[in-house]
Formats: sequence, structure tokens, C-alpha cells
Amino acid sequence: MGLCWPRPGAASSSGVTDGEIVLGMSAAFSGPSRGLGIELFRGASAYFEHVNRQGGVRGRRIVLRTYDDGYQPDPSVKNTMTLMLEDEVFSLFGYVGTPTVTRVLPMLKKFQERRIYLFFPFTGAQPQREPPYGDFAFNLRASYRQETAGLVQNFVGIGRKRIAVFYQADAYGRSGWAGVRRALKPFGERIVGEATYRRGSKFTGIMRDQVEILKAARPDAVICIGAYAACAAFLRDAVDLGLRVPIANVSFVGSENLLNLITQGRDDGKRYTELLVNSQVVPSYHDVAIPAVGQYQELMARYDPQPPRELLREDYTPFSHSFVSLEGFLNAKVMVEILDRLGDRPERSALQDAVFSIRDFDLGIGELVSFGPERRQGLQKVYYTVVDEGRFIPLDSWKDRFG
Amino acid sequence: MKIQLADMKIQKLFRKTLFGVFFLFGVIGVSTSVLCIYTVDTHLSEEYESNSRDIAKTIADASVDILLNRNLTALQSLIDQFVEIQGISYIYITSETGEFLAHTFVPGIPEEIRTGDPTSTVTVERSLPGMGDFVEVASPILVGVAGAVHVGMDTGLVALKVQRAIGQQVYLISIIFVVGILAAIWLVGQASRPVDGVLAFAVKLARDRKADSKGSEKLLARNDEAGELARLFLHFSRAMDRDKAGGIPQPDPKG
Repeated sequence: MGLCWPRPGAASSSGVTDGEIVLGMSAAFSGPSRGLGIELFRGASAYFEHVNRQGGVRGRRIVLRTYDDGYQPDPSVKNTMTLMLEDEVFSLFGYVGTPTVTRVLPMLKKFQERRIYLFFPFTGAQPQREPPYGDFAFNLRASYRQETAGLVQNFVGIGRKRIAVFYQADAYGRSGWAGVRRALKPFGERIVGEATYRRGSKFTGIMRDQVEILKAARPDAVICIGAYAACAAFLRDAVDLGLRVPIANVSFVGSENLLNLITQGRDDGKRYTELLVNSQVVPSYHDVAIPAVGQYQELMARYDPQPPRELLREDYTPFSHSFVSLEGFLNAKVMVEILDRLGDRPERSALQDAVFSIRDFDLGIGELVSFGPERRQGLQKVYYTVVDEGRFIPLDSWKDRFG
Repeated sequence: MKIQLADMKIQKLFRKTLFGVFFLFGVIGVSTSVLCIYTVDTHLSEEYESNSRDIAKTIADASVDILLNRNLTALQSLIDQFVEIQGISYIYITSETGEFLAHTFVPGIPEEIRTGDPTSTVTVERSLPGMGDFVEVASPILVGVAGAVHVGMDTGLVALKVQRAIGQQVYLISIIFVVGILAAIWLVGQASRPVDGVLAFAVKLARDRKADSKGSEKLLARNDEAGELARLFLHFSRAMDRDKAGGIPQPDPKG
């Protein structure tokens, strides 16, 4: 009879042992978008490390098992198979990218009896927010639909109605493109021009063709749905070829990586950034008056988390702070709260109820986090930032800056 | 001088034979290659077009729910997977009003496609600047009321496959040609050797009728046309000697 019941503290579910809870992460740690995976990992690691040093979650350390997918769908699917079937992690956490996540979602449905959920992917795309796969993921950040809607509303609000889109030729780019298209509809407007680039394009690549296509459409503003290397290349060529209109990016771009590329080794960096505006899904990491930001800065400085050495194949210099690592930090904070709510014997089967029990949870950023059966996205707010004195700061007035 | 003339005649015979073999192989090689080009080109084109049509239909069938749910991200993810298939160069999906809902073009939708009729599902041949030549097939979504899927097949790839098939064909025929010529030379050489012997025997008799059959026993003993011819030459030579001497011809020792 005693064998029928797990003894207190013994392994009670896959991915959980007496001393550990194992989470699985597949992200870009190599390639032109490696900055996103590395920074997201560093932010989450800072908080997990902090919790582990304080005894873990109800006595269990949080272990983040990581694999590199280079921001490519096929490796991402393979890594997920390994994490689910071989490593048997408790849940998936902190995946990076739309083309990767959209290919992983059907696997979660295929193995749904295992109740392995994907927590807080670094993408604002719709597939993990809607049927038929929405039930297998939980999102913290605002969606691309919300980000692009905010950008469009603000541009139209200052009379910039002719919006063009530069986007990555894949599911991520299409997600943002669809968001812009949807946001323009209530204003009776359509996308006036569009140009694409291939995923994996580098900063050294030439975006002259894309700039010429968009210039021909005579836009009032361009919204970019891409990763930092390609978007920085587009910004550089747009300015060089005289496309003098505001150029916006969504949060996925990796703002600090983009800024670093566009200004590095240039005396005239300001020329390239004065018409740049990026939407963010977390507040400014400079604003230490925000409690969670203060804690983030403190823990990043204390632990200085480094990316997994075995996954690094190329040089990368981490940022002391970034929007991406702050997002990873906030993801980890909510994840710890969920794991804590599972009690002393964490079971995958209880995960969904634990998530739905989070109502008006104070994450420390001013916006309360809530989940529910009809609300699988914890945060809704979008922030807008521009470059001033070589760093991103909150945008106060669209009219003054771009009017 | 007479011997040299005889040698030249045999060489001419060789040349004609070799020319004949060469000509025959040429006809076989060209006709086989032409047939090969036609067969490979036709079959490959048909196969690719058929596959493209199947893919377009598969996407069209799979797109209905996605389109009705307005999930363009999933739609893009779907076509991105199909465009990885060899020979498929581009895919685009248009709405019933002709709006481009998803596509795989970089850096943008080509002018010819943008200004064409996006609702048409007729198979067309396209030459897109900077991209190449394509055959585009289309399949309606929900009998056309929800739009259409268009799939572009790279005809350059078909041409490349045809070239490769022809190259292999030519390579094989060249090997057969070289082996055939060497075999022809050897066979003609084998066939002409007894004729050379008969010729040499005839010349020997002409120079010195007294030489008679000495040293040519093997040739005279042959049981073929060369032996018959040699014996005939010997017979005539002896007959001529007797005519000159006014004697009665002696019977041939070999009969």
C-alpha cells in the first residue's frame, strides 16, 4: 500500500526530484540572433540563481536545461523532442522566436497527455494565444498584435497614415505584418508597401533592394518585424539611401543588439537613430524606481549570469542590462510563483490550475499579472522607446519626436 | 609499287568500314540523345507540374480553417514548410479579393505577379527578372470563394536535370563508341590478315614462279576462301609455266 503513494519529497512527477525541478529551454545561442537567446537566458538565470541560493522552491532547486536551435525550426523541434521524451523536463520555458515556436506547438498537442506546457516564449505571435494550440502555452508578454496596433495608432495619430512594412519572410514576419494590416483597417488604410528579407540575414548583408521597394511606396513610416542584425542593416541602408521617415521595431528585435550594431565604430550614430522608435513589452530597465527593475539590476550585478559555455560557438559580449534580459527575469519571477503554488508535491497535472490561480499578482512593474481560461497572456502593456544619448529611453511625445 | 597499291586498297577498305561504324554510332548517339531529352524533359516537367498541383491543392485544403480563423501566421508557417521541397521556388496565397495574404518572396512580390490577376487559377509560364523561369500552377481555396494558392516551379531545375541526363547518356555512348571502334579495328585486322597472305603469295608467284608452294604450305592448306584463292593462284601460275613450256599440266598435289 505504501508503494502506491509517493513518499513525501520523493519524485512525484517527471522533471521533479527531491532536490530539483527541471525546466527545458530551446533558444538561439548561435547565429545572427544569438543575442536574444543569450540575454533571455541570462535574465531568467539571475532570478533562478537568486531563488536557488535561498533554498529553491519549497526545497527544490530550479534547473534550466538548455539547447541551442540557432533560431531555426527544425533544430527547435528536435530539441523539444529531446527535452520532452529523453530529459523528461517538468515543462518548457523561455523558447525564442515565432518560426520555432509555431513548429513546436503541434508536438505539445501530440503529447498532450503528458501535460507539458510551454511557459513564456519570447514571441508575441498569435498561434500560441489562439486555438488550436493556445491551450498548450502560457504567455507573459504583450502580443505583436498589441505592439503593432500601438505603433500604428500612434503613427496615424500624428498624421503618418501611409505605413509600410519591412519583415522577415517567415511566420514571425507574417505575424507582425498581419498585426499592422489589422490595425490599419479601422482607419480605412492599407499597408502601402512591403519588403522582406530571409531569416538569418546578417548586418553585413545589403538591404538596398528592400529600401528601394519601400521608397517607391512613399511611406510616412516603416514598421520592421525582424531580428536585430537584419533590422540594423535595413536601418543603415534606409538612412544612407535617404528614406527619411520614422522606422519602428517591435520588441523581438533586441533593441540593445540593434543599437550596438548601428552605432558601433561610427561618429555619426545619431544620424541613424534619430528616427528610430522601438516598442517594448517591459518597462525601461533604467528606471530603478520600478521595484522589479531595481531587483533586476541588483541581481544581474550580484550573479552576473553567463550563457551556457557548451552552447557558445561564437563570440558574444553580454549587456549588463537589456530589455530582453529584463523580460527573461520577469518570466522567471512568474514561473517561480507558479511552481510555488503547486505546493510540496509538484505535478504537471496541477500546473494549469496553479497558473489560473494567479490573479492580480504584483510582479513589481506597476502592471498586475492575471491568468485565466480566457486569458493566457499575463501582461498587456506596450512601451515605446527612442534613442537618446546612446541608449533607449521612454518616448514622451510622438508629436514632438515624429510629428 | 604494286604491293604499295594493294596495301592502300586495304587501308581504304578499313577507312570505309571505320567510317561506317562511326556513322552508325553517330546516328545511334544522336537519336538516343534526342529521345532521351524528349523523354526526360517531358516526364520531369509533367512530374514537377503534377507535384506542384498536388502541393497547391494540399495547401488549399489545409488553408480553409486557417483562413477562416484569420490566422495568417499559421498560414505562412504552412507554406514555409512546402517551399523547402526541391523544385518549388515560391508560393503565394491570395484572398478572394486578390489581396496577397502570405508569400515566400524576397525582397518583395515581383511586379509581374503583383500586377497580374491573383484570382486566376490557370497554369502560366513566368519569366521573373532576377529569379528565373517558372511554371506557376494554382488551386482554388473553397472553390475559389476563399482565395487561391499559387505554386511556382523552377523550370531551370528541370533543364538542369535534362542536361545531367544527357551528359550521362553522352558519357555512356562515348565509352561504347571507343570500345566499338577498337573492336572494329581488331576484327577488320583479323579478317584482312589471310587476304594479306594471299596477296603476298600472289606477288611471290609473280616474281618467282619457281618458288611454287615453298613456305606457303599453311596458306595453301587453309580450308577457307583464302586457301582456295591461294591454290587458284598456284594453279594458274603452274598452268602458265606449262603453256610456256608446251607441256601437259600436272595435277594439283592438294587436289
